[in-house]
Amino acid sequence: MISESILTAEKVRLRPVQEDDLAHFQRWLADDELRRWLGSVDEQPSVAEEFDWYVSKRQDPDTILWAIESADGALAGNIELRLNALNRRAEVGIGIFDREQWGKGYGTEAMRLVLGYAFGELKLNRVELATDEENVRAIRSYEKCGCVREGLMRKHRLIDGRPIDSVMMAVIRSDWEVR
Amino acid sequence: MTVADETRLEGELVLLRPRVDDDLALFARWHGNPDVRHWLHMSEIPNQSLELERQRWQIARNDPTRVSFVIETLDGVPIGNIVLVGIDAAHRRAELGIAIGEKEHWGRGYGTDAIRVVLRFAFEVLNLRRVELITDIDNERGIRAYEKCGFVREGVLRAKRLRYGEPLDMLIMSVLREG
Repeated sequence: MISESILTAEKVRLRPVQEDDLAHFQRWLADDELRRWLGSVDEQPSVAEEFDWYVSKRQDPDTILWAIESADGALAGNIELRLNALNRRAEVGIGIFDREQWGKGYGTEAMRLVLGYAFGELKLNRVELATDEENVRAIRSYEKCGCVREGLMRKHRLIDGRPIDSVMMAVIRSDWEVR
Repeated sequence: MTVADETRLEGELVLLRPRVDDDLALFARWHGNPDVRHWLHMSEIPNQSLELERQRWQIARNDPTRVSFVIETLDGVPIGNIVLVGIDAAHRRAELGIAIGEKEHWGRGYGTDAIRVVLRFAFEVLNLRRVELITDIDNERGIRAYEKCGFVREGVLRAKRLRYGEPLDMLIMSVLREG
């Protein structure tokens, strides 16, 4: 589903994704380096494919999707929680798509907002993610948010035919409560 | 996945055949046993029924990223099931799941043999590179069998699932086609 909650911090605001955002996401996904770090998008989607992605997220009751924008209202990317209600956990996925906005701390702040929502509103026990071991900047940001390395999944993904290890990271409720 | 439709795989102690619609009552019986359910996410769904089993199978049987086998002894007695799920052609990996539903067949090497057979199928027929699994941290019997088959411990996923409503850590393990 598309989140109806607006979450606000100093530098970013999370708000529902709107159809107007899709053309921006689609255009930014032409960036090979962005897709490399996102890990979940192999090719730049067409406009129609991007719309299908949006519809599938809107219809999925186990997904909560927000757009990330800067404090002055510029769209920067998106962040989502994929819930496993039975086990009270979620997987988080985040992307700052606009490379003009990289390195400004938007991702870290957006992640903190969503973790607060996951442990506060949703009362989850665990929020996890897997990321490319070579994605040093992202791992640093996740650690700032309290994510703990739990393991290394060997040769977890193939990038241009090359096997890449993924780091498994998570925040559990007790980590969040003592932060 | 259609490849399994005609596939029968033979090991030293077991025969694997594709799961069929008529197996529902078997699965309902296995999952109705609290000692079997204990190690599965069904621990959180105490009221197992044929109807629940049917709904679960309706989803599973149409999932193109899944192959489902019934494990039989060499004289044709069905004793459990083994699956590959999340078969990812792009990254050439899958997740393995196994349960011996007939408790009197526990501890006799049937599971280990079935895993070896499915790994051969995964690497040689499906051409995968990595097979992974997660299991309860205190599932010593299971972990021993996985290690015999070449699985390596990669990390501990804290509070990964609930068992009887309480958070439980799980171990992630994998085996790679090339060491």
